[in-house]
Amino acid sequence: MALLEVENLRAGYGSVPVLHGVDLAVEEGSNAVLLGLNGAGKSTTLMTLAGLLPVTGGEIRYDGAVLKGSPGARVRQGIVLVPEGRHVFPALTVKQNLRLGAWTIRRDAARVKENLREVSAIFPRLDERADQLAGTLSGGEQQMLAIGRGMMSSPRLLLIDEASLGLSPKLTEQVFAAVKLINERGTTVLMVEQNAGVLAQADTAFVMQQGRITVSGSGADTLNDDAVRAAYLGA
Amino acid sequence: MGAFFALGIFQGAVYGLLAVGIVLVYKAKRVFNFAQGEFGGVAAFAAFYLVVNLGLPYWVGIVGGLAAAVAMGLTVERVIVRPLESASRTIMLVALVGVALFTIAIIVLLGQPIPRVMPPLMAGTGLNILGAGILPQQLILLAVLAVLAAAMAWFFKTDLGLAVLASSQDTRAAQVVGISPVAISRLVWGMAALLGGIAGLLYAPVGIFTPGFMTLTMLVPAFAAAVLGGMTSLPGAFLGGIAIGVVQNLGIYLLGQQLKVPGAAELGVFALLMLVLLIRPQGLLGKEA
Repeated sequence: MALLEVENLRAGYGSVPVLHGVDLAVEEGSNAVLLGLNGAGKSTTLMTLAGLLPVTGGEIRYDGAVLKGSPGARVRQGIVLVPEGRHVFPALTVKQNLRLGAWTIRRDAARVKENLREVSAIFPRLDERADQLAGTLSGGEQQMLAIGRGMMSSPRLLLIDEASLGLSPKLTEQVFAAVKLINERGTTVLMVEQNAGVLAQADTAFVMQQGRITVSGSGADTLNDDAVRAAYLGA
Repeated sequence: MGAFFALGIFQGAVYGLLAVGIVLVYKAKRVFNFAQGEFGGVAAFAAFYLVVNLGLPYWVGIVGGLAAAVAMGLTVERVIVRPLESASRTIMLVALVGVALFTIAIIVLLGQPIPRVMPPLMAGTGLNILGAGILPQQLILLAVLAVLAAAMAWFFKTDLGLAVLASSQDTRAAQVVGISPVAISRLVWGMAALLGGIAGLLYAPVGIFTPGFMTLTMLVPAFAAAVLGGMTSLPGAFLGGIAIGVVQNLGIYLLGQQLKVPGAAELGVFALLMLVLLIRPQGLLGKEA
C-alpha cells in the first residue's frame, strides 16, 4: 500500500474548480515528481494535500486512512509543505526560521537538536548564515532555508513546490541534489516542477494538464516520453 | 520644575503601558486598536463593582477586573476582528472605534455616568520625589511597568513569541509549519486586553474616573507614544510613553505656568511628535521608515 493515495481528487479556490479528478499514488520512501505547466493545478494539488485548500470531491488517503484536519494536524502527522515562492519569515534569522520549523515538535528538545544537525549537514550554507535575517538571503539560500525548515519537524512526506523557480541552473542542480539526499535518508518526497531535469532522479513521475494527470510512470520512462519531451524539453 | 518632571514620568508610565498593548496588536496583526483604552475601562469598572459595590477583597477586584478585560479582548477578537480579517484596515479601524464607543455606552448604561473614586491598592501618604507628592500607587505602577516590559522582551524570545512574529510576517508560512493563525490571534488579543486591563487598574485609583476615562484621556497620548517609539518596538512604546508624559508636564510648567500659553500640554506633545517624526521618521527605536 502506498503512503499517499489520491483518488479522483477535486479542489479549487472558492467556486473556481482547478482539480478535476486527480489520481496519483506515492510509495513510502520514493521520490515522486509532479510535472506540469503553469496553471495545470500542481500547486493546488500540494496545497490541498497540506490542508490549505478544502477537498470538494474524491479522497486523499495517507498511511491507510482518509486524510483530513487542519494544516497543523497534518504537519503533526508528518505531511509538510515547502511552499512555492519559499515563504521564509523575512524578519527572523535563519536560526529562528529553523526553530519555528520544529513548531509541532518543540517540546522534544532532543529531536529538535537532532533535526537541526541533520539540516546543517545537508545545507552547510545555512549554518554559516545562522544569525542573518532570512529576508537578506539570496534566492537559492532562501530555498534551502525553506526546505531545511520543512525538515525540522521530521516529516514523513515532504511536499516541495517548485524549488527551482527563479534559480540558476547551477543552483537548481544543488537544490535537486539536496532533495535527493533527503529522500535517500528516508523521507518520502513529492516534488512539483516545471523543470523536467528533475525526472532523472525521480522514481515516479506524473504529468498534469488542466487539473488531471495525463501521464504517469517511472521517472526514466516519462523522461523518454515523446509528448513530455516536446512539452518540457523542447525536443 | 522637578515636581512636574516626576509627575510626567508617572503619568507617562500609564501611556507607556497602554502603548505597549497597542504596539503588540500592531506588530502581530497590523491593526490600530482603538479599543485598547476600553480594556482598561472595563477592568476598572469591574474591579470597582467588586470592591466598592460588593465589598469584596481588593485582590478579587484585581482578578475580576483583569478577567473582564481578557474576556472582552477574546470577544472582540472573535466577533469583530476575525470576521474582518480580510477587510481593509480602515474598516477594521472604524470597527474598533465602534467597539470603544459601544463599551463606554454599556458602562454608562450599567452604572451611571458619575465620577467614581477607586480606593488605592496601597494606602499611605505621598513620598516626596523631586518636590512632587508621589503616591505609593504610582510607584507600584512604575514597578509593574518595568516588570511587564521585561516580560514582553522575554516573551518574544520564546517559541510562542517567535510564532506571533512569524504569523505577522507571513501567515501562509506560519500555517505551513503548523502554527494555527486563530490560536495566535486569540493569544495576541488576550495579551493586549490583559495589558490594557492592568493599565486601567493602575490608573483608576490615581484620581477620579468616569466612563470612557481611558479612551478620552489616555488613548491619544498612548498612540502618540507608540508612534514615537516606532510603532513596532515594545521598549520604544514604553520610552515613548515616558517621553510624552514628561513633555506634557514640562509643557504645563514652562509654557503654561511661566508663559501663560493655553493648551500647553498638548502643544508640547505635538511639538515632540513633530520633531521626532521629522528627524527620525522611523521613531525612536523603530527599525524601518
